[in-house]
Amino acid sequence: MSKVDLSCLQGQAFVLGDHINTDLHCSGKYLPNQSVEAIAKIAFDKLSPGFAVKLATANGGILIAGDSFGINSSREQAVHIMKIMNIRGIIAKSFGRQFFRNAINNGMPVLECDTSALLDGETLKVDFSTGKITRANLSTLEAPPLPKEMIKLIEFGGLIPFLKEHPDWKF
Amino acid sequence: MGSTISEKILATHAQRASVKAGDVVVCDVDYAMITDTRASNSIKMINRIGKKQLEFASKTALVLDHYSPPPNLEAAQIHTEMRSFAKQEGTQLYDIGDGICHQVLPEGGHLTAGNLIVGTDTHSTTYGAFNALGTGIEGTDISAVMTTGKLWFRVPETVRVSLNGQLQPGVWSKDLTLHMLGKFGAEGLNYKAIEYVGQAVAAMDIDDRMTLCNHAAELGAKAAILEADDKTIDWLNAHGAQTPKPVFADADAIYSQCLEIDVNLLAPQVARKHQVDDIVAAHEVSKQAIQFALIGTCTNGRLDDIRQAAAILKGHKLAAGVRMIVTPASRKIYLAALREGLIEILTTAGASFESAGCGTCVGITNHLVPGDGDTVISTANRNFKGRLSNPDSEIWLGSAATVAASALTGFITDPRTVSGGDWRSNV
Repeated sequence: MSKVDLSCLQGQAFVLGDHINTDLHCSGKYLPNQSVEAIAKIAFDKLSPGFAVKLATANGGILIAGDSFGINSSREQAVHIMKIMNIRGIIAKSFGRQFFRNAINNGMPVLECDTSALLDGETLKVDFSTGKITRANLSTLEAPPLPKEMIKLIEFGGLIPFLKEHPDWKF
Repeated sequence: MGSTISEKILATHAQRASVKAGDVVVCDVDYAMITDTRASNSIKMINRIGKKQLEFASKTALVLDHYSPPPNLEAAQIHTEMRSFAKQEGTQLYDIGDGICHQVLPEGGHLTAGNLIVGTDTHSTTYGAFNALGTGIEGTDISAVMTTGKLWFRVPETVRVSLNGQLQPGVWSKDLTLHMLGKFGAEGLNYKAIEYVGQAVAAMDIDDRMTLCNHAAELGAKAAILEADDKTIDWLNAHGAQTPKPVFADADAIYSQCLEIDVNLLAPQVARKHQVDDIVAAHEVSKQAIQFALIGTCTNGRLDDIRQAAAILKGHKLAAGVRMIVTPASRKIYLAALREGLIEILTTAGASFESAGCGTCVGITNHLVPGDGDTVISTANRNFKGRLSNPDSEIWLGSAATVAASALTGFITDPRTVSGGDWRSNV
């Protein structure tokens, strides 16, 4: 199968704050009868009104957050919803443990670094395989790269597509 | 170079001589658990992989605990799907009222010292009380485990926490964890494995050790693990577990942090409304009225918790205007409480008992929603705004002793100031 090229993902930055609970803002936990497509239209709206519309207008983008993005029990569905919203990758100062795992397992590129300088709306070019982030003003940030196994899972689009080709778990 | 307990367990299960923090390893899993909140999604994913025979099904438990009993048709249908999957695959099933996943797994003898256990719930860290590495995973992970018996893990850095001294009567590991949450913040030990050691841990009974490891999830921990001692081995043997293979850290193990906490002077703690890390001593908020008291959950729904509550409420009535619900963590605990006369004591005092399960923790069971303006004091592990389905109520957290003492007076109360509040297990 074709693997995703993580070396040059480009998109507008959509900045959210610290400690974002994706169960509350991007899942069906409290919206039990809603489809993921319906939730994708209102996700993060309480934190940033019009978030989904702005993201759609920009044809998707890169989500930027502060500390502990996706804290607590973190339903995996949040990543599925973010993919529907055309979020191409997430850069946060830190992630909730379970969210971080869900992102890798579902082929959502993630990086951890100090995001405080990044501006809402600026265009970023991100190499999710090396961790290099190029800003609109051409300055760069270097996030520590993910271990090669995690990069491979993301390139395959997640753990299940990876296991379909590598049922022996050989990375 | 030495290894921590978590590193050793992960190395053994990856068939490697050693691993170090930051490595990504593929490990053989010993046992897996799926709860009803994640089952439907997990079953879909397992079907997507499309493997005919699930060899791992015999090492998996399906637990119907979050929607126990089911509050609506949707939840009932999930349960029907789980029962049918369990029958078809030969998977162990714990039905409604049997108890919370983190209680029925150890009680059912499904884990032992040295094991690697995964579950679709953040509080799977509880298994560390038995010297097993337990960690929370999601649907994709569980489908990988059920089809291959293996899973990838990033080896976590280990933080060694020495709990020195002795907890005073009326002070519990719940108070200790709340204190740590106040000090380090929610997610303050994110991604880390915690190794708890020291005199205070050795003195704790198994119920309190389970609370200690369970509540580490709020600190963001990937795992929280204790050494196995005679109490651990006796408990595991009494519950039909496989032969324990205790794992100890090396003297020269590398820790990312070593913390020392003197527990001698620790007072009962509470988390104020909406934030699990907004911590204050119970006696500092004694003017805070409460209307609803909850004892239960995977954190504090065990027999010693119900014993603490009964010791305080025996021969008394709840304060005027206060109601109280108790959900034992398992059917076995429910029965033990019945035999000890604890249910009669608490029911006479004005409390109600509900089905064993997660009901007192999360609003999805919908049978104990607080009203607008209500202040809840609960033994649960989380108190986010709206967690019990009403954002116009507030949830405060404390030990079972603190909750019972508060139900007695109608105000948040240090249990050491009421009769029975110094109850200690003599076991």
